[in-house]
Amino acid sequence: MGLGIESYIVQMVHGLVYGMLLFLVASGLTLVFGMMGVLNMAHASFYMLGAYLAYTITGHLGSFWLSLLICPILVGLLGIFIERFLLRKAYKGGHISQLLLTFGLFFIFGESVRLVWGGAPLSVASPVILAGDIHVAGMTYPVYRLFILAFSFLVLIGMVLLLTKTRIGIIIRAAVTDADMVGVLGSNVPVVLMAVFGAGAALAAMAGVIAAPFSSMYPGMGADALLDCFVVIVLGGFGSLYGAFLGSLMIGELQSFGVLWIPRLALVFQFLLMAAVLIWRPTGLFGEKE
Amino acid sequence: MRHLPLRRLAWLLFAAFLVLFPSLFREIRVHIATEVLTYALFAVSFNLLFGYTGLLPFGHAGFFGLGAYAAALIISHIHGMPVLVTLLVGALAGFVAAIIIGSVCVRLSGAYFALISLSFQMFLFAVAYEWRSVTNGDDGMSFVRPDLYLPLLGKISLQNFNNLYYLTLVLASMGIIGCYFVLKTPLGNAMVCVREKDVRASFLGYNVFLVKLTAFAISGLMAGLAGGLFAIYQEVVATTCIDNNMSMIPVLMVVIGGPSHFLGPVLGAAFYVVLQDWISSMTGYWMIIMGAIFVLIILYLQGGLASLFTSSRVWRGGE
Repeated sequence: MGLGIESYIVQMVHGLVYGMLLFLVASGLTLVFGMMGVLNMAHASFYMLGAYLAYTITGHLGSFWLSLLICPILVGLLGIFIERFLLRKAYKGGHISQLLLTFGLFFIFGESVRLVWGGAPLSVASPVILAGDIHVAGMTYPVYRLFILAFSFLVLIGMVLLLTKTRIGIIIRAAVTDADMVGVLGSNVPVVLMAVFGAGAALAAMAGVIAAPFSSMYPGMGADALLDCFVVIVLGGFGSLYGAFLGSLMIGELQSFGVLWIPRLALVFQFLLMAAVLIWRPTGLFGEKE
Repeated sequence: MRHLPLRRLAWLLFAAFLVLFPSLFREIRVHIATEVLTYALFAVSFNLLFGYTGLLPFGHAGFFGLGAYAAALIISHIHGMPVLVTLLVGALAGFVAAIIIGSVCVRLSGAYFALISLSFQMFLFAVAYEWRSVTNGDDGMSFVRPDLYLPLLGKISLQNFNNLYYLTLVLASMGIIGCYFVLKTPLGNAMVCVREKDVRASFLGYNVFLVKLTAFAISGLMAGLAGGLFAIYQEVVATTCIDNNMSMIPVLMVVIGGPSHFLGPVLGAAFYVVLQDWISSMTGYWMIIMGAIFVLIILYLQGGLASLFTSSRVWRGGE
């Protein structure tokens, strides 16, 4: 099958869209790992919960935009609750104990979703204003995917501004490097941590909401997103936000073009890549911190 | 641990219970007991790494699945191969793969180790899933359980479930007891030493890499044996044997049962399988209950269920 340059561009944009969604999920995961040293396995559940809640809220209130506002808040509160009342209790057991705790939560959320919404795939209609295709230079592309792209770039810019230009952002970045030292210098690190955990959960939920209209929801979506996020943060380096960004785009493009060229090996390649990075450069391609 | 006469008596009674199990209970219970024994071996192999060497593998199903696939491939392609040889090859498949994969995995620790072991397991899963001409993808390979031939006893049909139970009982017990004796050797002490502080272990002259790799290899061997037993029990091997859900099962079992006691994983396996059987007859959502128990145990009972039966809260491995 001959492929024109157009299909490559379309495929590239597909990859970019998935990569940006992945970044919204992975950014919270990598920041929390940087600050607490905890690999939060329940993180991808927040993405899944966001998508499923969007289904319910959009169904009840009839507005996709309202669910884009409400879901991240609800899931963010859930994240804060988990950090404050569960993770902190497991703190004395060490990182492995916290990792296992989030693993248990991951199971509970996965099954709860199946219990509440059933196992069949669901989907949310994209908002009317974003339905349809756009035609540019002989190519057609769904408007909704372009919206995802634009929206996630806005979130990215907001996040970068928050982290580099504000006081809280500086504290967060400092806490990623050395949480103890930041605490000694007088910042209330546990509260910052709780906030970052909640914000990360909210971001993941936001990604879930905007992903809901373009990919169907199924109870295993959390596990799938989790595996992709793992690859992303390993590639980018644990705790590195820029690394997570570049890693997300790489995995997005890899999956997009992998499906085109080597459909049978895309999955294999992704995990070999992850193993290779862990072997030769455990700090990731862009991470600096040990 | 002192061997009191009472304790010996309890062990004898327990052994007698296991041997008499098929005559005491209905066939469906024998099925469940067979499954418990298989998973118990898998969980004990996992705990050699988690509880004793301080490594948390998230991809242990890779070795379990290799053992299962090796057994299934031999049974479907080589007729007349003795069952015990088949199972041995399955175990060796896990062993060899563990040496190869372990030689890169054990250089890492903590979450990094968990992720790299997961990535190798996902790699093996992807191979099993995509290589349809050999593994038949996610449809799986089904086969008929072959007969077992033993000297003196002659042909033993494994279609009879009691015989299958005894085969599993003997081999799984041998594997589990083997693990116990490994932990009693200087190697076992070295594993615990590495778990407690690997830098100090290396100052004491231990080759930390080699200790971890040996533990990994023995663990892979036992997981491969468990996988082979599982294949023969199920009479079908599909990608569910090697996927990440299968990797998560020993994590649940070991944490619930208690990683700091040698028999904790066995207890966890029994608890998991029996509870699954019991709850899933009432509701399809039994994983919520299992997940809740898991979280509660992490929060309130770090030693797992085993710590309820032992005097000291945390029973360290070795001595």
